[in-house]
Amino acid sequence: MVLLRAGIYILAAFFTGLFLMGLGRKITARLQRRYGPPLWQPLYDIAKLFSKRTNISHGLMMDFSVIILLGGTLLSLFFLPNPYFKDFLASADIIVLLYLLLLPSLGMALGVGEVANPNGSIGISRALIMLLGYDFTLLAVVVGLSLAYGGNTYFVDIVSQQGGSFIHWNLFRFPLFALAAFFATLGMLKLEPFEVMVAPHEIATGPMVEFGGRYLGMLFLQYSFALFIEIGIFVNLFLGGGGIILFTLKVISVFVVGVLVNNIFACFRTEQAVKFFWKYPLVLSLAGIIMVMAGK
Amino acid sequence: MIKKPLTQQRAWQIVLNRLRKKSLWILHYCTGCGAIELPPTKTSRWDMERFGLIPMATPRQADILLVTGYLAKKSLKRVILSYEQMQSPKWVVGLGSCTIDGGMYWDSYSTIKKLDEYIPVDLYIAGCMPQPEAIIAGFGELIDRIEKGVACGWKDYYRNWRWYKINQQKVLGEFDTKVDIAREAEFYRLKNGSKEYQRKN
Repeated sequence: MVLLRAGIYILAAFFTGLFLMGLGRKITARLQRRYGPPLWQPLYDIAKLFSKRTNISHGLMMDFSVIILLGGTLLSLFFLPNPYFKDFLASADIIVLLYLLLLPSLGMALGVGEVANPNGSIGISRALIMLLGYDFTLLAVVVGLSLAYGGNTYFVDIVSQQGGSFIHWNLFRFPLFALAAFFATLGMLKLEPFEVMVAPHEIATGPMVEFGGRYLGMLFLQYSFALFIEIGIFVNLFLGGGGIILFTLKVISVFVVGVLVNNIFACFRTEQAVKFFWKYPLVLSLAGIIMVMAGK
Repeated sequence: MIKKPLTQQRAWQIVLNRLRKKSLWILHYCTGCGAIELPPTKTSRWDMERFGLIPMATPRQADILLVTGYLAKKSLKRVILSYEQMQSPKWVVGLGSCTIDGGMYWDSYSTIKKLDEYIPVDLYIAGCMPQPEAIIAGFGELIDRIEKGVACGWKDYYRNWRWYKINQQKVLGEFDTKVDIAREAEFYRLKNGSKEYQRKN
């Protein structure tokens, strides 16, 4: 029964992520006055990638890297407070979740290390540098929120204390944290101002440069889960979680705002992006921590 | 035309072909002059993303190799390298008259005349230059052929790789892409039938 519910949760997260990917492409198209692809285009893309008959591997580590990538993401799926599957949440610490979020990048680095393509190495080094930017911001936000709730880092408690009216949401109680975390979410999702890692016009999709066929299909799967998790963290921290319908609606609305930002801004360079994170969102979250400390 | 019996394997192929035709990623090889017609095809007026056609950055991820305009002998090398790095099933589209018969460069010393002699072309879009309408119509034709399963240029390359290699070496001299075509042909279980071509040559 537990396995069945876990399976349903994984499928729900997958299809939510897929829907978000399709929706993002559709919104981008409409903003550029195009009709855009069908909403389920990512599903066709994944099916196409898995139906490729050649799948060129550059070695054992590249095979393992996609497994580490997908495995790490699936693991972090179960530590996210969600309306579908609540069995593991009693012990789900937000610090653990933040650690698990590093796994995909590290798995990617392992795989790209075996690929002798310079674009791949540049891409993965950019990804790890970007991590310095948004991860510190997110960590500062989490520390601030847990301080506000008396040093409690259990994710479910942070969600449950925002119950009742929307006035109790952390978005309104701690707007500084919310703003900083929104930038961190954009960085995690690799949306436009912070899209330095993929940059198809510049370094030919970066770390994915030698990944084709089923390998790229696995990366697409991972990205659909990652969308659900990374937006889910923001929704849980600041918008109070919710039931199945409410949670999904909140995830979609946060993603739509992200896509709009994505379409408006041009891309930072790597050092500009990290500088931006250390200058504004990190300082915002530190100011938030000081306000929380002063309020006690 | 005799209808083939519908086996399990063939039914599966039909399903896969229907999925494949909906998502085609294009690797642009635009050293010739045709590239200027592609931005309007991609952007708001003609919008080729409607059909799931989007440009891709690397050969490993692409399904279609789009060669626009003439190819100099030097750039032919790069086209062959890119083509052999792509993952099957893959298709080649020749855009513009130059890929068909040399076009206005028909008597040039440094360009090749027929792209079809060096890599298998699935579809030509004629014109000098073909307009975005023609490009969209051409891709529509390619999508139809992929659905029917008759666009099999990549199989042709593995079946007759000796003929293609001889042609490539006539132009490029000693040229080795370091891709083991014979082993890949064995992987796809495609037998080498280059006899027919040798007669034609």
